[in-house]
Amino acid sequence: MAKPAVRLGVVQIGLLAALAALVLRAAQVQLVEGRRHAAEAAAQRTERVVLEARRGMLSDRHGTALALTQETYHVGIAPNELRDPRGDAALLARRLRIAPRELDRALRRRYAWFAGPYTSLDVQPLRAVRGVHLEAVLRRFYPSAEFARAVIGRVGDDGLGASGLERLLDSLLSGTPGAAVVLKDRAGREYESPARVIAEPTPGDDVVLTLDAELQEIAQRALDDALDRMDAEGGDVVMLDPVTGEVLAVASRHRDGTARPSAFTETFEPGSLAKIFAAAALLEHNRVRATERVSGEGGSYRMAGRPTPLTDEHPLPSLTLADAIRVSSNIALAKFAARLEPDEQYETLRAFGVGAPTGIEFPAEAQGKLRLPREWTGPSSTSLAIGYELSVTPLQLAAAYGAIANDGVLLQPTLIREVRDPSGAVRYRHRPEPVRRAVSPQVAARLRDLLRGVVEAGGTGERAALANFQLAAKTGTARRVVEGRYAPGQYTASFAALFPADEPQIVVVMKIDNPQKGSYFAAQTAAPVTRSMLEQALAARTVALDRARLSNVAPTAERAPLEEPDGLVPYVVSVPYAPDSTSAQPARAVPDVTGRRLREAARTLHRRGFRVVVKGWGVVHHSWPAAGASAAAGSTVTLFAEPRP
Amino acid sequence: MIKGRHWLAIWLVALLAALWAVIARQTASLNAARALTDLRAQRAGLEGRRDELERRMRTAGSRAVLLPRAERLGLRLPADTEIILIPVSPPR
Repeated sequence: MAKPAVRLGVVQIGLLAALAALVLRAAQVQLVEGRRHAAEAAAQRTERVVLEARRGMLSDRHGTALALTQETYHVGIAPNELRDPRGDAALLARRLRIAPRELDRALRRRYAWFAGPYTSLDVQPLRAVRGVHLEAVLRRFYPSAEFARAVIGRVGDDGLGASGLERLLDSLLSGTPGAAVVLKDRAGREYESPARVIAEPTPGDDVVLTLDAELQEIAQRALDDALDRMDAEGGDVVMLDPVTGEVLAVASRHRDGTARPSAFTETFEPGSLAKIFAAAALLEHNRVRATERVSGEGGSYRMAGRPTPLTDEHPLPSLTLADAIRVSSNIALAKFAARLEPDEQYETLRAFGVGAPTGIEFPAEAQGKLRLPREWTGPSSTSLAIGYELSVTPLQLAAAYGAIANDGVLLQPTLIREVRDPSGAVRYRHRPEPVRRAVSPQVAARLRDLLRGVVEAGGTGERAALANFQLAAKTGTARRVVEGRYAPGQYTASFAALFPADEPQIVVVMKIDNPQKGSYFAAQTAAPVTRSMLEQALAARTVALDRARLSNVAPTAERAPLEEPDGLVPYVVSVPYAPDSTSAQPARAVPDVTGRRLREAARTLHRRGFRVVVKGWGVVHHSWPAAGASAAAGSTVTLFAEPRP
Repeated sequence: MIKGRHWLAIWLVALLAALWAVIARQTASLNAARALTDLRAQRAGLEGRRDELERRMRTAGSRAVLLPRAERLGLRLPADTEIILIPVSPPR
């Protein structure tokens, strides 16, 4: 047995060791692991929450809301907290529109959750009910669900734009989320204390579209009625302001019920609607005189290289170019077009935008088809003159006819009129954006005269004629391509109109796919529907028509000139998504496109008013005239390209 | 001459005053937060009501609703011959 002093010493040493261990552990906890433990403690006490930013509003050109963001609620119920379970349950069933039996079942659980979402009007009476917990969420709301649905698009479950303009403009509309810190208790519930805001959310910008709500409704209803009446497979309507390039209405409908923006994304062979471009080439290159006539050949004419003869429904003995357009003669147009060189015909079609996307702010726009002259076969020239072997979207046609209305200048169509920041200040306002001069003003005026004849007595568009307002228009009835082949007995009826014929304010393009009841000719289908739409537009109160100019007196509002005296575009502004940055410069210099892909470079030059010739392929090595050199509008810039290294 | 217990009392009062100030500020901020929450809810409610009323107005004023009713009353859309535009003098 050890002595007491020894035992005491052992105990003291033991105590000292334990004390030292405690001190060391405390030092480790405080000094070495202190930060980690502090962070864990903060995480248990606080939570960083994201403050959602309110998504910007989409409205029509008059400010009518088309898409806006509302605060809605999910509803959680703690049954054991309800003061009057029976009365509260009745109120809840009423406000949440849930069957009482279903609600009773839900209230037997510890916590009932109803995702809704419920509007603030629905949940207003529930705010005072103890045991009801509301969780606010922002939700996108479309006041008129079917209004231009395919164009406006929708947001996905994640709150981001999923389709259409909602997707394209997502970066503008979505704003910047904020952040805050809230206090929590041990069970993880948030205290009812003020959150510490780290960053306030910034709401998204509001976007004013060019669409006109009333014209849009007129177009949608007219299309719906026409398709139902004609038992057609689908159709599109595009209305465009030819002076600004603003799209006023765009409607698409398909029998299968899908909401596809086919006016922008699906192409078709325009048939006789393209005859006016052949006439443009003939006039621009001075290949036909006004009085010159060709034989109507009795309505059937076999051209060299074509397997089948050309036919006309209502042949005339002989026709001028004006007659050929008025009665839509395939034979006369083919004979006249034979005077054109393939390059001339091709360049005119390209100048009107055939085979190139219009550049509208819309995802997945189709560019259509126009083959290079070296890929043409024997009958290609004739086919192109009467609207085959090429394909276009209804929007491309509207833009091309808009160029005829706009004294020969092709404008880039747009859907965006203004962008405003959350305070209402205008960040962007659309200005007409010329692509190029397609034809001279004199030729454009001649083309309008030719189109005017179509709506006069004896013309194919006679049934579109208005009594008091002159129209310039063209009908088109073309065989329909289904899965790469001409479908027997199927046609596309289309109609393009400039209203009014003098100083046109609206370009209307209507297309009806495979009308099966009654006539399939555009003269009997699309033409009268277009007249009905125009009559409704005239009678409407708020549509984008300048009635002062319509009243047939000298124009009261001076149209902003599109060109400066030397013929170059006055300015080119960048739209929010502008793909090239050089276009914002007002200088007349040839832009520097070195190193860019050919398509991008050509597009940049087109937007500055130049014609483009390409040598080689790959990326642009240099151009002639060189970048920075001055060149006249409409002159040709040659791009020399080399394969990408 | 302030004695020790007086000092103690002064410190105690100061401590209580500081605690009262903290509690008063927190209470005021909680009340403000509640008022703010209520106001936000009210605003959201009013916005929702406005949106709903706008939607109903637009539906009621749409052609889909108006035209059938107008036709039942014997009304119709005017033809273009029935629309008279009064010429406007150009500004001098």
